[in-house]
Amino acid sequence: MLEIKDLHKRFGDTVALDGVSLTAAPGEVVGFVGANGAGKTTTMRIAMGVLAADSGQIVYNGSPLGVEHRRRFGYMPSERGLYPKMKTGEQIAYFGELHGMSRAAARRSAADLLDQLNLSDRAGDFVQDLSLGNQQRVQLAVSLVHDPEALILDEPFSGLDPIAVDVMGTALKDRAAAGAPVIFSSHQLDLIERLCDSVVIIGNGRIIAAGGVDELKAKEVKQLRVSVQTGEDLTASLPGAVTRDGDDYLVEDADDQEVLRIAAAAGRVTHFAYDQPTIAEIFREAVTR
Amino acid sequence: MSAANPEPSRLRGLLLVAGREIRVRGLSKANIVSLIVTVVIVGALAALPTLIGGDDGDEKIGLAGANAAAMQAQLDAMGGFDITVYGTAAEAEQAVEDETVEAAVADGSLYSRDGVGNELETRLDAAWQAAGVQTNLANAGLSDQEIAGALTVKPLEFVTLESGGVTGPLDYFTGLVISIIMFMMLMTPVQYIAMGVVEEKSSRIVEILLTSLKPWQLLGGKVIGLGVISLVNLVAMVAVGLGVSAATGMLSDLPPGTASAAVSTVGWWLIAFALFGTLAGGVGSLVSRQEESGSVLTPLIMSLTVSYIGAIFLLNAPTSTFAEILSLVPPFSAIAMPTRMAIADVPAWQIGLSAGLLALAAAGALALGAQLYKRSVLFTGSRLKLSEALRRAA
Repeated sequence: MLEIKDLHKRFGDTVALDGVSLTAAPGEVVGFVGANGAGKTTTMRIAMGVLAADSGQIVYNGSPLGVEHRRRFGYMPSERGLYPKMKTGEQIAYFGELHGMSRAAARRSAADLLDQLNLSDRAGDFVQDLSLGNQQRVQLAVSLVHDPEALILDEPFSGLDPIAVDVMGTALKDRAAAGAPVIFSSHQLDLIERLCDSVVIIGNGRIIAAGGVDELKAKEVKQLRVSVQTGEDLTASLPGAVTRDGDDYLVEDADDQEVLRIAAAAGRVTHFAYDQPTIAEIFREAVTR
Repeated sequence: MSAANPEPSRLRGLLLVAGREIRVRGLSKANIVSLIVTVVIVGALAALPTLIGGDDGDEKIGLAGANAAAMQAQLDAMGGFDITVYGTAAEAEQAVEDETVEAAVADGSLYSRDGVGNELETRLDAAWQAAGVQTNLANAGLSDQEIAGALTVKPLEFVTLESGGVTGPLDYFTGLVISIIMFMMLMTPVQYIAMGVVEEKSSRIVEILLTSLKPWQLLGGKVIGLGVISLVNLVAMVAVGLGVSAATGMLSDLPPGTASAAVSTVGWWLIAFALFGTLAGGVGSLVSRQEESGSVLTPLIMSLTVSYIGAIFLLNAPTSTFAEILSLVPPFSAIAMPTRMAIADVPAWQIGLSAGLLALAAAGALALGAQLYKRSVLFTGSRLKLSEALRRAA
């Protein structure tokens, strides 16, 4: 269990974090969402120990997170960095060794990852000679080389091509399935919706919404959507506030069973369900609230 | 999954960083090519005196006339001559003409095609004088033994009143070489260290590195790695220089202290490198872009240059007060002291004091450089001022 507890951080007069807390249970994939400058990167950098918080703490499995545990984490910073003049395979293995692997194990792991990422034939090339997309893949390999027991990834999907997105997504799911807590930030909300068990929304250094994806969606349920195959207009006959969305009726503030009865009497009901917001809509709602 | 990752020791982290520097920078094509070029130049320079001096074998000298036998005895005693005795002066002259011999001495004349070098002239002259004396003494009726006794003169003993005293040209040369090597061997890695720090900072890779390494491991490993590369380059240069000198017989002509000076220079270099290397890492971390690294390195490069120029001045006045002060005050002493030691006798206490002060300064630089690095390596943006960096929380 990775717990980020009540982080506060100021940069000069700017309050970057104002009591940020979030948790990731073993096997849980947490999506971290927020506008630019909301505090995602700062939170993740503090969690990885590259930035000190003014107050608050990071707790891992019940004790404060120290260097020895962080070394077994996988981290991808928002601004990518690799040694341009180092060979790809050598570089991935080097990071494996820095994370405490033996040289042989690090090399093996690097070779496996390069294979998964279709980069095996580039292992001997300098990183600077790779395309930007391939450099991103190498970056991904660097964060996964040591088989990390937790993942903190800042915008791991930005700049990735669809194949790498799939590899990344699979890697996240695999790590989570093996029991690792996973936290990642992204602006690609469809990816968050697809991959995450829960979502944390941050705005201006505060957590403004957090919870399981389904739970958040259920909480933000908007209106009843009804499709009926009928020639007549039911706007007046349906109870509550009724609006049209194309051929559909959107019904609010009404007894759904009564709506169903009236609709069924008018014709064949082809769709009858509460609209669930997308994570994107929830996000937009949350940040503008 | 965590079982596969045993706890790496602090030392291992340091050595991994150093190893990477050695692999990536030391084994880079650029470094290997520059090393080969340098070694070739050093080898050529070491061989140059012999090449200019012509054939490295003995001087071919022809002898003829009355004193030929006595001359031959004298020249054999001196060594370094390949002697041919001709029947007549005309034959000897012809041999010079034919270039069979370099020069010929016959009946009181020295034959050569276009004159002989100063050294050869002096030696032939000395042999001629001695042979003449010997012949005269024999003519006066002295026995060979008496002649030998009369000719045995104890060579002049050199007594210098002032410590240091007058220096010979080879001492000057040794001092010059030491100062140049020290200067180069500090300048190059210092710039590489700063560049390496800025590279890691500008590429943001430092953020990943610092999740598994402490700042001191990262900085220390870099300094050690580049130190090893420089040391290997230095040793290769010295070995080739001395090797070629030994092969061409030049080594024996170098002043007697050369070997020990070379060894102690390595010691001075190590302390000086700790000083300049860690400072370079510290100031390098103040900037975020490669093009800004020049400005923060300027003070370091200036003090290295001043040290070097000071050492050159010192060579011309090794016993002056200026020389004494320069060779005691760090960081200038780093180059000045080994240079001064090569050219003059330096009291042991001054050497000790200078080394102590330099080591103290290196320890201070280590602390300052490490603090600067720790505080500013993760700060990206515009250049940090020194005072800002020191005020920042680590």
